[in-house]
Amino acid sequence: MATDKSNIQLITNGILNENPIFRLVLSMCPAVGISTTVMNGIMLGVAVLFVQVFSSVTISIFKNVIHPRIRIPTYTLTIATWVTVIDLLLAAYLPEAYGKMGIFVKLIVAFAIITMRLEMFACKESVQASFWDGIGMGLGFMFGMMAIGFVRELLGMGTLLGYDILGFQPLLFFVLHCAGFFVVGLMMAFFNYVEIIYKKTKQGA
Amino acid sequence: MKDIFTIIIRLTLACIMAGLVMGTTYIFTSNAKKHNEHVNEQKAMYGLLGYGPANQAPDSMVLHAFYRYIVSHDDLLHLGYLVPLQDKGFSFVTIDLDGNFVAARQVDITGKEAIEEEARHQAIAAVLDEEATIRYADKTIVATNDGRRQAYLLPGAFPGFKTFIHVMLALDPHFTVLGLEVMEHEEDPGLGGEIEKDYFKNQFTGKPYEVLKHLDVTKTPLPDDYRRALEADRTGMSADDVRVIQEQYKDKDIYALTGATISSRAVTNGAKAIVKKFAYRLGILDKVLAQENIAVPF
Amino acid sequence: MKNIMLRQIIIILLLCGLPGLTQAADLIADKSFGDDNEIIVTFSQAVDMEAAINPANYTVYEEPDPDIRLSVEAVSVADDLMSASLRFREPLNTSQPHVVAIANLSPDPEVVTTFTVAKPYIGYLLGILVSALLINNFVFTKYLGLCVFFGTSKRKDTAKGMGFTFTIVIVVSAIMSWFFYQFILKPFDLNFLQIVIFIGLVSLTVQAVDTILRKVNPDLFNAFGVYLVLVIANCVIIAVPLILADNEYNFFETFMLSLGAGGGFLLALYLMSSVRERIELANVPPTFKGVPIAFIVAGQFALAFLGFSGMQLF
Repeated sequence: MATDKSNIQLITNGILNENPIFRLVLSMCPAVGISTTVMNGIMLGVAVLFVQVFSSVTISIFKNVIHPRIRIPTYTLTIATWVTVIDLLLAAYLPEAYGKMGIFVKLIVAFAIITMRLEMFACKESVQASFWDGIGMGLGFMFGMMAIGFVRELLGMGTLLGYDILGFQPLLFFVLHCAGFFVVGLMMAFFNYVEIIYKKTKQGA
Repeated sequence: MKDIFTIIIRLTLACIMAGLVMGTTYIFTSNAKKHNEHVNEQKAMYGLLGYGPANQAPDSMVLHAFYRYIVSHDDLLHLGYLVPLQDKGFSFVTIDLDGNFVAARQVDITGKEAIEEEARHQAIAAVLDEEATIRYADKTIVATNDGRRQAYLLPGAFPGFKTFIHVMLALDPHFTVLGLEVMEHEEDPGLGGEIEKDYFKNQFTGKPYEVLKHLDVTKTPLPDDYRRALEADRTGMSADDVRVIQEQYKDKDIYALTGATISSRAVTNGAKAIVKKFAYRLGILDKVLAQENIAVPF
Repeated sequence: MKNIMLRQIIIILLLCGLPGLTQAADLIADKSFGDDNEIIVTFSQAVDMEAAINPANYTVYEEPDPDIRLSVEAVSVADDLMSASLRFREPLNTSQPHVVAIANLSPDPEVVTTFTVAKPYIGYLLGILVSALLINNFVFTKYLGLCVFFGTSKRKDTAKGMGFTFTIVIVVSAIMSWFFYQFILKPFDLNFLQIVIFIGLVSLTVQAVDTILRKVNPDLFNAFGVYLVLVIANCVIIAVPLILADNEYNFFETFMLSLGAGGGFLLALYLMSSVRERIELANVPPTFKGVPIAFIVAGQFALAFLGFSGMQLF
């Protein structure tokens, strides 16, 4: 059973239609917890992208060898392995960024989004399709994180990627942890609003 | 039931493969991690002494580290210092709690090996009595220029609001603070997390030992001119102006961060305790080293 | 029901924990921190006034810094010669255990009476529990386990079911993780395998609870079985072993942390579900219906929980 979608469609699917954060409402913890700056979003996004792509490909390669009764343990093992790898790599080569992300890199192992993609996609599709689907999901997560980080960093500290944009601090509130809930909630509402307007104009036309 | 063997075999294979991947990564990254940690620490140290990429430290500048241990033997507690020697190698100098010299033992370890806690521990244990146990306490780095002491660098940690705050303090030979760097912390961003910002940590710069001993935290707002001086990197204030303002605020307490008095107080008290203990111990160590004619490079 | 169980656990812990802590020299009946610069010592028999009142006979230091003596400014001895209060020049750092040595106190002049003064351990344990429950609530101040939190907080019944199942699994798996960490990972320098081992243990616990519950109490299984699968997708369950490995917690501390984490999750779920049941009846703008309004509510809870920060009970 092969997917009839092209590579591009697989990627955009991950970013737009099935965006892990805003559409599937999965992997919310880092979206609230450490999305205080754009940089954090990019870093964790890269880590998730790495784990998602490598796990998808691994499972896809070995899909015929995996016994159906030990499917879930194998997925968990695969994800845990790749999380360990990226955790060690980040700790060794990017210690500063790693320090900021803290425990969240290790927690990628419990992200529902990765297991879900393995179960729903990688165990059925070809290696190539799984690869692109992994990229799409990873990028979707990264864009979600960056979008939240963008709002919070700009409104909270007046900077973007550490560069001073506004020259003053508009509202410290947005940097506080609990503001993550408000930002995500408001952004979701905004996307819903856009969708409602879009549907209305379509019907009207 | 017949499936059980294939399941076991496949799961074992999967585990072995996973183990191989993780093991290889671990072997490759562990050395790089240690190296990078060391490099970062060095960078922070030179940064505190005012050197950076634009302003390279002179070649005559050398950093010497010595390590403090607590030695317990037959219910007796001693302090042990692993100090580098002038000519070569290290010496493990033990001092009793009243500050009197007990013994000095030659330790067979090179400067490079001494960076690693494990190697250090083994080398010291080899020269001590078998029943004695040692516990690592802290390390101090002495920066010398042409053999003369320029500064002391003290890494330390103390409990903050959330978890431990790791800092590095730089002192001049008269224990006046040259700078404070926050190495690691998990305080809340926007509140306690501001301790790593210039306008907080630079407040410590220039505080003399006499002031530092009784340093406290005040909740009055940070004056504007002082803030501009503290953020000189951003505001572009000239070094001379900064010095004038620093001099003016030298005897003042630390201005607490808004909404994070606990974190501010933790850093202030932590730094105070580190410096006080260090000043006391260094006096004893220097006295003992001079008395016993142990030639150290600092 | 839960309260009684909790109380029993605490009493058992008290019984286990206290005897090890009250060991001191025979002469000392009790000792504790008084004001912030005071240590109070109670003797088991009347002592020599001359010896007890002389500050020079006392040596006091913080356990990690044996060479730095704290200067005793004055000692006041009670009239019945049964207790003494030591005043220090500077406030004590009560988070550290203090070692006190008194010379010339016992009849044998050679013997120096030495004992350690520390905050009561049980208070520290309860501090960990309350901290995990409220101050550092995993959902509202550490932002973990949100996927499951938003998924299962629509109904009060679901919330309770999920919360209880989760608490049981996390306590069992955290204790197993502690054993693995202390006796396998640490001695053999295998710390880089933490993630794999901990997630493996969680899966194992979930599977075991599933099987046992199915056989022993099918009614309970019908009620809570569905939540077992969700437990594994909850970051808190993997965060707790990681935190306890980081902080080098001992067995009791591990137990308290996991209990607090589970209880905190239950509390968060219950609060949230109570609000969400009411929101369903309210007139919410269409763009905010469903998840967005849940996020806003959670944000308000998080703001409220921010008020607990800095609270120090013990």
